[in-house]
Amino acid sequence: MIGATMDLQKLLDEPLNQLVEDAIEKGMLPVGYACSMVPEVLLSIGKLFPVRLRAPNVAGTEMADVYLSSVICSLSRSLLEFALEGKYSFLKGFVFTASCDHLRRLNDNLRYCEKPEFIDILDIPHKITDEAVQWTIDELRRFAQQLKSHFGVDAGNENVMEAIRRRNILNTLLRRINDLRKSQNPPFSGTQYHRLIMATQVVPPDDAINLASEFLESVTRNAEHPRFRARVMLVGGNLDDPSYTEIIESQGALVVADRYCTGSFPALEPYALEGDPYEILARRVLTITRCPRMMEGFPVRLEYIMNLYREYAVDGIIIESIKFCDTWGVETSALVSRLRERGIPVLRLEREYHQSGEGQLRTRVQAFLESMGK
Amino acid sequence: MVRYFAGCDIGSTTGKAVIIGENGIAGQSIVPREIDPEETARVALSEAMKTIDELKSYKDIAYLVGTGYGRSEIPFAHENISEISCHAMGAYYCDTSIKTIVDIGGQDVKGIALGDDGSVKEFVMNDKCAAGTGRFFEAMSRIFRMELQEFSELSLKAKRAIPVTAQCSVFAESEVISLLARKNPPEDIAAGVQGAVAKRCFVLLKRVGITPKVTITGGCAKNRGLVKELEKVLRVEIAPLSVDPQIIGALGAAVYARKRSSVAV
Repeated sequence: MIGATMDLQKLLDEPLNQLVEDAIEKGMLPVGYACSMVPEVLLSIGKLFPVRLRAPNVAGTEMADVYLSSVICSLSRSLLEFALEGKYSFLKGFVFTASCDHLRRLNDNLRYCEKPEFIDILDIPHKITDEAVQWTIDELRRFAQQLKSHFGVDAGNENVMEAIRRRNILNTLLRRINDLRKSQNPPFSGTQYHRLIMATQVVPPDDAINLASEFLESVTRNAEHPRFRARVMLVGGNLDDPSYTEIIESQGALVVADRYCTGSFPALEPYALEGDPYEILARRVLTITRCPRMMEGFPVRLEYIMNLYREYAVDGIIIESIKFCDTWGVETSALVSRLRERGIPVLRLEREYHQSGEGQLRTRVQAFLESMGK
Repeated sequence: MVRYFAGCDIGSTTGKAVIIGENGIAGQSIVPREIDPEETARVALSEAMKTIDELKSYKDIAYLVGTGYGRSEIPFAHENISEISCHAMGAYYCDTSIKTIVDIGGQDVKGIALGDDGSVKEFVMNDKCAAGTGRFFEAMSRIFRMELQEFSELSLKAKRAIPVTAQCSVFAESEVISLLARKNPPEDIAAGVQGAVAKRCFVLLKRVGITPKVTITGGCAKNRGLVKELEKVLRVEIAPLSVDPQIIGALGAAVYARKRSSVAV
């Protein structure tokens, strides 16, 4: 059964996985998105379903490098490479946010090279004020109108609220699974969890709910309780490759909490269910992603990490960021200082989007655990 | 019977073993790397045991800790510890006042800040690029058609170092070839190469803090020209260690072996 825990990796090996293929056969329309600020709920209405853009096992970015300079992060370059290789040809459209210059350049070049039938980029303010919320509401309504014109999707208030309710079912399950990570001996590894959380982002919403509930049932019934030397939290931006977590855990760390864009943190808080659904989405986009691109939000982001640190009884924090990601590069410097001032062991790792330098990563993590006396 | 504890450091270029007994280091070895890390470990240990009559086999060693990039490939080791922790402990064993280490091995460079007990307070490593590592010096000395030692001595004769700007091994190689072709004094170019690596170490060490005493470990610590340039850019004296700096990782592993053994008992 594809939903069984052991098969989650299969869903992540290629952008076009079995469940996406099945959905397409049933007439559903997959739309690719990059960035957690994209309101995926709006892509879960009618026949649409969201698929997080990934480039699993990308070998190099030779073609994308022609269009994107070497100071553009390897995530953007890898996604463009996959697009140029035709690996996203099953997608019916693309949605981005102007969250950083790197993704904007990806959006520009995707338009230029692939000329997709549907592509949109949402403009999101950098501050959270009443005006910014109103701006975002207007922007989301504009986007909904685009969806209606191109796909014939009715993103009226009622349908949006229904999609929110459905998303809350998934979030509730993910929250229950996350709560199990707080126990002294968590019943599953961070790698297993990473596979699940990624899988829920690359399959239709109903399948995501099934995967999460099967995972919950499976870990409740057959708890593995992996052995570990230290409990760690993984912090950073886009991290969509569970093998990265696997390497970290191979050294005896157990990833019990996370705060990275493709991880679980947005799922820990349910969507509000009262009021204008577009305002609910706008407020969520501006606040819940806790993206370092947002100005004046550092204290809140730091406090969020501190709360997870206490709640999940974390021994040390690993902060990873992709090279040339200026958003996370700046954030990391400040985070490392503030966390260390509080006496928290921190390991800072820079990486490329694709997995490389495995031996060095192992050494760094092992030395980090040893430096904590673990 | 005296109990012996060993550390085996399987690096990318050489294998090192240190055996300590009641009175400190009883045996040590540095051997070229074999293809199989396990084989390198066997050869290194056999060499180190030659000076200890009581040890007939590595199985007689009370506790063995593996370190270095091949640390997890030594099946007869009781455990493995990262080379970062082992270099810190090895340097601390030689001199308890060491606070900062720059370790230049065959394929990486590390900056390590030590705690008061020889533990690792903070560390940084270079990326996967070989610039500034032992491999880099091997390539450079090849261009000069010299042994590493000769290259090092040559750089000490420089009157005015010619800066080598490229940090990438491949680009640096072509830059040095061009400088030689233009008939620049080889000793000045060699000093420029040393300076380029020293600057790279400066960048790494700045991230962990340059707190005296500073020392250098790893095979490249034997490069006197590099040590001189490092002292210049770091503006501190590089403290020499009482043992061969290339075996510091293995020594640290042996010290850990003794500690772990008492815990295991």
